[in-house]
Amino acid sequence: MDFPINPPIGERVRRKETERFVSGTGRYVDDLLPAGTLHVSFVRSSCAHARIKSIDVEAARAMPGVRAVYTGQDIAQHVKPLRVGGSSVLRPVKLYPLAVDKVRYFGEPLAVVVADNRYLAEDAVDAVSVDYELLPVVIDSEAAMAPGVALVHEEAGSNIVYKYHFATDGIDKVFQDADIVIKERIRSHRITACPIETRAYLASFNKEEDSLTMWSATANPHSLRGRIADILNFPEGKIRVIAPDVGGSFGVKIQTYQEELLLPYLSRELGRPIKWCETRVEHLRNGRHGRDQIHYIEMALKKDGTMLGIRDKIIADMGSTYTVDHSIQAAALYMTGVYQIQNYEVNALGIATNKTTHGSLRGIGKADASYILERLVDIAARELKIDPIDLRMKNFIPAEAFPYRNVTGALYDSGQYHLAMKRTAEMADYVGLRKEQLELRKQGVYRGIGVAFVMEPTSSSRIHATGGYASCRLRIDPSGAATVFSSMSEQGQGHETTLAQIIASQIGIPFDKITVIHGDTLPTPYGFGTGSSRSSVVLMPSAWVAGKLMRDKILGIAARQLKVAPENLQIGDGKVFAKENPEQSVAVMEIIRTAYGAIHLLPENMEPGLEVTGYFINPNIDYAPDDKGRMNTFSSYPYAAVIALVDVDVETGMIKIVKYFTVHDCGNMINPQIVDTQQQGSIMQGIGAALYEELRYDEDGQLLTSTFMDYRLPSAEEVPPLMLEHIVTPNPFTPLGAKGAGETGMLGPPPALCSAVEDALSPFGVKVRETPLTPDRILNLIEKAQAKPAHG
Amino acid sequence: MAKTVVLTVNGKSYSGEAESRTLLVHFLRDALRLTGTHVGCVVGRCGACTVMWNGTAVKSCMVFAVQADGDEIVTIEGLAQDKRLHPLHPLQEAFWKNDAVECGYCTPGMLMSAYGLLSKGTKPTEEQIKKAISGNLCRCTGYGNIIAAIKEAAAAFGDLK
Repeated sequence: MDFPINPPIGERVRRKETERFVSGTGRYVDDLLPAGTLHVSFVRSSCAHARIKSIDVEAARAMPGVRAVYTGQDIAQHVKPLRVGGSSVLRPVKLYPLAVDKVRYFGEPLAVVVADNRYLAEDAVDAVSVDYELLPVVIDSEAAMAPGVALVHEEAGSNIVYKYHFATDGIDKVFQDADIVIKERIRSHRITACPIETRAYLASFNKEEDSLTMWSATANPHSLRGRIADILNFPEGKIRVIAPDVGGSFGVKIQTYQEELLLPYLSRELGRPIKWCETRVEHLRNGRHGRDQIHYIEMALKKDGTMLGIRDKIIADMGSTYTVDHSIQAAALYMTGVYQIQNYEVNALGIATNKTTHGSLRGIGKADASYILERLVDIAARELKIDPIDLRMKNFIPAEAFPYRNVTGALYDSGQYHLAMKRTAEMADYVGLRKEQLELRKQGVYRGIGVAFVMEPTSSSRIHATGGYASCRLRIDPSGAATVFSSMSEQGQGHETTLAQIIASQIGIPFDKITVIHGDTLPTPYGFGTGSSRSSVVLMPSAWVAGKLMRDKILGIAARQLKVAPENLQIGDGKVFAKENPEQSVAVMEIIRTAYGAIHLLPENMEPGLEVTGYFINPNIDYAPDDKGRMNTFSSYPYAAVIALVDVDVETGMIKIVKYFTVHDCGNMINPQIVDTQQQGSIMQGIGAALYEELRYDEDGQLLTSTFMDYRLPSAEEVPPLMLEHIVTPNPFTPLGAKGAGETGMLGPPPALCSAVEDALSPFGVKVRETPLTPDRILNLIEKAQAKPAHG
Repeated sequence: MAKTVVLTVNGKSYSGEAESRTLLVHFLRDALRLTGTHVGCVVGRCGACTVMWNGTAVKSCMVFAVQADGDEIVTIEGLAQDKRLHPLHPLQEAFWKNDAVECGYCTPGMLMSAYGLLSKGTKPTEEQIKKAISGNLCRCTGYGNIIAAIKEAAAAFGDLK
């Protein structure tokens, strides 16, 4: 397929937004301080599950600088409950900005103090006393299903709040007839995204204008605006949501939070701007959590390694308010991954527990799926004594089979899996590595080689959630500069640069004269949030459409003036000229002046001005399942092959990543520099997830990892030598040929590093089934294994 | 008890009221309105609040404003010393050129830690660079480009100051 893309698309253009970030002039929510701003701090539940008997706020009210204190009861009378649940299969529940009768997780907000500054607000929070009636805590998602267990939401009638089943005909027979069945229980542990900017909100209600401005560190300003309108019963058109510079999201800022909806109410009540900046402790306790799925999975294979079928039971811990279900669904739809497996059964259960709400996190659901599938493939390779690369190569979907309909109906756009795996093996010198490994083992060095092949469905297109479309409005000003109004905002993805690249490639206005406006609901067209690596798959094409509409308009005006048909014209060097006779030309600036000021010279029926809106709709999406329950909800399928090399210190349990090789395919790249940087960051986040990070709860539901001291993000010292290459297989379903680029990197390290560690410790016969791979866990594995005879 | 704190920040004298418990980072941001210095954890782990305090890179959430009374502070806003001549310091240029930035939130602290390292005058090795910024967390870039940028700026640092 031919993609009509011209420079500067595809160039490593320096990012426009970086200049203000390096000079310290970025503007984040916490940098804003309108006159008269009051600050809030939240009283949060000290237990995971309890009825609120009483809250005594009198002492807090009397503290210096305190303007108001509200409890959940005070608020509930004046706001509508949040709409919780994005799908008909979920059991819906009511949720208020502050807990009303009972608290359902450790740290849930139940009262709020408004004071002159954040120190005074925090002082007063300490003076609020809450009397609880403790309830049994539901913390283990498997135990939560048993009859008679306390219910997180009584009105739901069960802790099983989501169910999904899918099966192909004759699946049991496939397993009966198989030469070998590999069965495992594997859990993906609970983690969170941790952008370095926590959540921050500032609401300012203007009494004279009867309007509200809300600054939010959100990745989803238009949806937030609708939710504020809904909860406050206030006209949406009088609300302006602004996401200024936002310091990272990785999924956690795409959802709407309890605190986020409370601030507009407080500002309206008190007539003052109200600001809240989350502390890191609050972020770890109350920001959305991700992963935490248990899979009872089995794979049927022939002796020669042919994969025949998969059966899986998924138990997903959704935490207390389960606002989204797509983590489970995404896992359930993609458990067959990159392999030609057409026999499949899945039973997926979403469980409510007394943990923090589960939600979006880079790689949501798909990371669980690829981690668990790749572990299973590795284990199968070991059992069958087939090289893990050979086993994968034998079962990959071949390049000629694309677009490929997987067993659950997902439509994979394009891919060259064999090539990517082969290239990674060459880059790593896989054969040489195996030899070296044997040599090193003689010297007492436990080196492991881990293989993984991960695929990330991107650009989710769910009804009422991500929508399946995006838009950009494009205006050329009378001065000759252009402005792009983007329906999606950025939190570090570089949209200000890539959108300008796309427009510059089409309309002959230089990159430097193109400004991108995003994250403000007033001037930008409606759009859903920035997540699911959607930008390159749906937003960028919408800019391309806008650019094309504008180009057509410019050429139409020139055609009339030059008396040459538009298709025989070309734009270049600030002019429109006849392809046959470049002397015959008109300056673009002249066309702009005509469009605004001399409309009698415009072609018949052409509207004045130069302003167009481009929409792009992902064409390959199903909005309802077929008669067999199959559907495609993602529009592109980037992937990566990984070979990781580790040394395990068997005395200390420390893991050193010696080298990390990966070949990645996200189709055409609008700006390869931005893709490379994002890949590196994504991979580091995956390394953090695999080796260091875990949200751990005790049996009472207290989060034990509430600061950066015990929830350990990787630092520069943990960066391994990283060998990153791309192959390009364009996505035929967008005009730019791009797939999503943000998440695949994060998927690689968990399976690849588990595989490598298991390989390194194969002389001990160690089985790695639990993560993260912390030194104590590794030592424990070695100790336990040494008690038994080694069979490596 | 509020006390008047006088600081020299980026070569200019400032004074403001601070309680004894007011953190330096909050004093810089809220009282002096120098918001380029960021807050990310307030336990001294993330480094988004790093500034130069009397010539040493420190995390300004670990210092009370009153402790710095009478002292000299350099923040990200003062890194480029003559903005008319060079709007960006070579470290800032190197970060831009090497795409060492995504969301930008950790960037000012990262730059100040790098500046602290290069101010010592010796050419750092890659290991020294990694160590110097190991107290600065970045969630976007994976650090590789940051390390490359500091290396590049270090090569030219002799004539930077």
